[in-house]
Amino acid sequence: MSMNERPQILPVLIVGGGPVGLTLAALLGEQGMAATVIEADEGYCTGSRAICISRRSLEILGWAGIDRPVVEKGLGWTSGRSFYRTTEVLHFRMPSGPDDRFAPMVNIQQYYVERYAHEAALRGGATVHWSTRVVGLRQHVGHVEVELQPAEGEPFVLSACWVVACDGGRSTTRDLLGVKLEGVQYEGRYVIVDIEQETSRPVERLAWFDPPSNPGSTILMHRQPDNVWRIDYQLRDDEDPEEAIRPERVLPRVRSHLEMIGETAPWKPLWISIYNAKCLTLGDYRHGRVLFAGDAAHLVPIFGVRGLNSGLDDVGNLAWKLARVLGGRAGEDLLCSYTEERLHAARENIAYGAKSTEFMAPPNFAFRLMRDAALRLSVEDETVRSLINPRQSAPVGYVNSSLREVDDDAARLGRSALPGLPAPDAPLASAEGWHHLSEAFGRNFVLLRFAADAPFAGSPRYEGLTELTLLPADDVPRPGCPVDAEGLARERYGAPEGAAWLIRPDGYVLARWASPDPSALATVLDRHLGAPLRLAASEAA
Amino acid sequence: MEAEDLDRSYTALCEAMGRVGEGKASLLLAMVSLALIARQGSAEDVLPIIESAATSIGETP
Ligand SMILES: Cc1cc2nc3c(=O)[nH]c(=O)nc-3n(C[C@H](O)[C@H](O)[C@H](O)COP(=O)(O)OP(=O)(O)OC[C@H]3O[C@@H](n4cnc5c(N)ncnc54)[C@H](O)[C@@H]3O)c2cc1C
Repeated sequence: MSMNERPQILPVLIVGGGPVGLTLAALLGEQGMAATVIEADEGYCTGSRAICISRRSLEILGWAGIDRPVVEKGLGWTSGRSFYRTTEVLHFRMPSGPDDRFAPMVNIQQYYVERYAHEAALRGGATVHWSTRVVGLRQHVGHVEVELQPAEGEPFVLSACWVVACDGGRSTTRDLLGVKLEGVQYEGRYVIVDIEQETSRPVERLAWFDPPSNPGSTILMHRQPDNVWRIDYQLRDDEDPEEAIRPERVLPRVRSHLEMIGETAPWKPLWISIYNAKCLTLGDYRHGRVLFAGDAAHLVPIFGVRGLNSGLDDVGNLAWKLARVLGGRAGEDLLCSYTEERLHAARENIAYGAKSTEFMAPPNFAFRLMRDAALRLSVEDETVRSLINPRQSAPVGYVNSSLREVDDDAARLGRSALPGLPAPDAPLASAEGWHHLSEAFGRNFVLLRFAADAPFAGSPRYEGLTELTLLPADDVPRPGCPVDAEGLARERYGAPEGAAWLIRPDGYVLARWASPDPSALATVLDRHLGAPLRLAASEAA
Repeated sequence: MEAEDLDRSYTALCEAMGRVGEGKASLLLAMVSLALIARQGSAEDVLPIIESAATSIGETP
């Protein structure tokens, strides 16, 4: 580089092109920011890895159009069954109904999510450097210098205003900054196997405790697309993990279980791996100009499927904040709320994950004995069955977030859509072609009014704000005025006529008013969106 | 009892058993059972629970 050629400073460099890093690149693209992704591997991951995508994750993926291919390829499900030996002791159903936008859970191999996120990232203008490792990092006042080593060729340096570390459980970025995960690691190990076999069984989460096919073990089974079964089983404490994943050890166990449950079609193994539960997080997700997301920031047990799902929520929280900071529309302190909110979520996910692990892989004699007692009792006694429930991933509320307005009208508005909680979804009819309210989320702030008429046209407008008036069920949709077709939005928000909600770009409630006074509304909008746009004279008239 | 309370109590019992150790865990369980039994309305509430637990385990030692 010649002396007077200034190095280009990229807006955002993402370390790691796993599902979290690629989704972040796609979401930033939707926000008008072209990201640069650095990925050590030459392509997508192998093996199914994180297979259960939650409804909330599908909403987030939907902001960049990644929901459709995931839903088309994936297998949706709503329920699960647990067996003690051969007796069914729990049949749980996750809340779902015909009006829902997505099934509560969709099973799909992680490499498909990576592929669809990658395609969306490219549509959004991202650049992905495959087969390139981050090997060094230097923070400066206004940017970060990142040293890169391609698999073939000379090392090179890129500079970026912000670096987001999405480089997974063994994050190089963490090591380069000298920061460490804290928490506990459990001893119990699970072998993870993908096999290909045709089946006509419904798509459900299946769990067996102490099955005759594998006495003393716990086995989980999930169907995946392409006629793939994912089978997870627990190892005994005295088994050597390296030995335990050799096909000659794994396949007889799988065969015996398939025979027990009557799955007799021919099958072949595709992938074998091993896993043990960890409950670890960094104490802060921002270190100068480096932010952490996904497994690089926290590791949670896979029982309850909070791993990838919480990583997608991280980037759903981060993308709009980073875009606003980079676009000069918010100060850097907006990023403090990222750590605050997502660290709170990680702690909650870890607490639930630890409980699931204590049941699925009991850490000592006490948890083992009590679990056996719970399972034995549950055959006859339904009062204890809730203990077997796997506590599936659910979005975490940020009810103490500093990014939340005072809730003065709480007494008139009910408790279901409080500031800090995810904004409820509802079916609607719209001129925009939306079928669900959540389709309006993901890019802008949304000011949602529950009213019979659009507000008067001269009210101030803001850049980055979508205003929606949700008309009552008996009305006809007009642009900007969808219809609350089933009345479910009014019910779910606990919204009286005239009420308004301000919803963040990531679909969380920021503020609400029972009957908004224009100046109170303007104060809050100015704070989060900056000064209103000047109206053209013709519009103001 | 709410599922959440059941869960909390279950975990607390597991943790207490872990603290006293495997050798004394059955004493702890006996004490907790007895205290809970004493809070029931009558023996009729308790005897079927004892019977069905014993049957489930099988009465050959
Ligand atoms: C065997 C296995 C089974 C799993 N099963 C489940 C499951 O059943 N359910 C579940 O919810 N979760 C599961 N997980 C966890 C799940 O895969 C992760 O939570 C998820 O992949 C996290 O995504 P991520 O993008 O944060 O990290 P990763 O998917 O780990 O992606 C990180 C990326 O960063 C790249 N990278 C690392 N270092 C560098 C560097 N120095 N320079 C450039 N790139 C780098 C890596 O190559 C990788 O592609 C499993 C994980 C494993 C390993």
